[in-house]
Amino acid sequence: MFDLNIEGAELFALPFGDIVPYFSVYSATLAAFVLIFILIAAFDRPERQLNIIFGGDAFYEKEIKEGDTRFSRFMAIACGFATLGAVLTGDIFNFTLFAVLVGITNIAIVASAGNHHVLNAAFQYGIVAMIATVPLFGAAAIILATTGTLSIWTLAGMGAVPLLAKAMLILGVMGEGIAPLYIGKAEIIRAQGAPFVLMIHFSSLLLFLRVTEIVLVI
Amino acid sequence: MIIRKLSGILSNFTNLSRVYAVMVIIVVIAGIASIPSLDYQGDRLYPKTIDRDSPLDPYDRGGIPFESTVVLAEYPENSPYLGYITAYLTPLSLALAAATPHMGTTIVAHPGGIIDEILYATRGLDTVVETTILFVGFAVAAHLFRRREDE
Amino acid sequence: MIDTFHIGMFAASLCIIIAFFSFMKETDDLHRLLLTDLASVMALFLIALVGTDLAEALILPGLVVTISKLMALTEIYLVKEGIQRNQPARTLDIEVLQSAPAILASILVLYGIFLSGFSGGAVAGLGVIFYIICKGHQERFELIETVSGYAWVAWIAAFFIILIFPSQWFLAVMIAGGAILIKVTAKLSLIGTMRGESDV
Repeated sequence: MFDLNIEGAELFALPFGDIVPYFSVYSATLAAFVLIFILIAAFDRPERQLNIIFGGDAFYEKEIKEGDTRFSRFMAIACGFATLGAVLTGDIFNFTLFAVLVGITNIAIVASAGNHHVLNAAFQYGIVAMIATVPLFGAAAIILATTGTLSIWTLAGMGAVPLLAKAMLILGVMGEGIAPLYIGKAEIIRAQGAPFVLMIHFSSLLLFLRVTEIVLVI
Repeated sequence: MIIRKLSGILSNFTNLSRVYAVMVIIVVIAGIASIPSLDYQGDRLYPKTIDRDSPLDPYDRGGIPFESTVVLAEYPENSPYLGYITAYLTPLSLALAAATPHMGTTIVAHPGGIIDEILYATRGLDTVVETTILFVGFAVAAHLFRRREDE
Repeated sequence: MIDTFHIGMFAASLCIIIAFFSFMKETDDLHRLLLTDLASVMALFLIALVGTDLAEALILPGLVVTISKLMALTEIYLVKEGIQRNQPARTLDIEVLQSAPAILASILVLYGIFLSGFSGGAVAGLGVIFYIICKGHQERFELIETVSGYAWVAWIAAFFIILIFPSQWFLAVMIAGGAILIKVTAKLSLIGTMRGESDV
């Protein structure tokens, strides 16, 4: 796989039984970005939010208790680690599971806002994220049935994966990583704990980068 | 005109599961034509052998407890003790398999057996992620439940 | 050549088209939530088509993903619609539900413990849910949650034992089977407590 252009040199591989996560130049770069964003999510303090009153100089401080953001901070960090897993894993089915984990932590971040409008968006997103498991797992199953393996190491460069499975894999990741579309509509940016929304955008971006790599390699 | 109409549909998020469903249907309909050209290779890993006379019927993979048996894993070199979990039977399921013709299939749920070998050993990372998903799903439900208790 | 796999694929494609067609037609949120279950069965259908032991092991994660997402979405739906306040007092006021739970629940729990592992946890959890739904409950929500959290940690420890000390596979399998049993039972039984009555 490492003679293909997209991956770059092999840096490190971690043998976990049948699932062998690996660091190539490409995935190690993505992983470094994920680590930076996990640190941002862990150390930022969105409790100090200011509301500016338009048309005057006045501002007032929003009262946000520590407990209100604890849940969304936890979920943002969990989402970061799920993204890390999705970026590093060397197995198609394991990748789809990590994508689902990213999807459900995104639902959690959106749902932790109490606003009714935001919850409605979270619900609609959750429906799409849930039915996206069909193309995701379907793609993994078709790959297993037609090539006899799930490991990206074995599949790399073989070109044996049918187009249908590739299309379904991309469609599935689209469904799980569709959250940013909802964020814009739900005005969650102005809700409390808004900085964690950053993690939603970031994780879906990285999922897309990773699935592009997988589809080009297999 | 068309663009305005399309963006009108897309901007209403109650429509998005509908849009997504349309995309899946398009992909599947396009994929139906390619089905006959798919070649079944699925039995390369962990093939299923069925021996109707065995009391462990669909899960009989041979071997005796604390010995190994043949398991076709993707990377056998990564699991030095491959096959030991598959061959292991708890004393209870051994007794059941000896006493009854079909109850031995409880090996699926009991510790030991081929499914446990895959779930715990060779593809253990899958199960880690799976239980984490359950944990997160539960945490969301519990958080929302607690919040509504507080209100 | 058309063999069983291809026939299965045709059938699965047809079912997927029908299932997703229902999402195009349905506009009610609650009905959509119910239909997601129909859709996720299609994913299991496709995995099962592989027909090996590996497929059987992959179905379990597929199933769990569905359960956990459904759990989260249902709770979001309840809060979104604001229907969590008006609880039915005791709609299921049937004599059998007063006398049967103790026996049935204990059978289910014992059988679940006997099975151990994930399916055992599901069976035992079902017994506990049944008991709680019929009899009401007085447990401490956080205590069960903590137990379930420790069981999860034990599970992860078992995973690392297999990776780092493969010769201790027996210990690891026993820890994993026990921990998953406790974890799944605790999680499922909490669903029963989330029906209403306030926690102690």
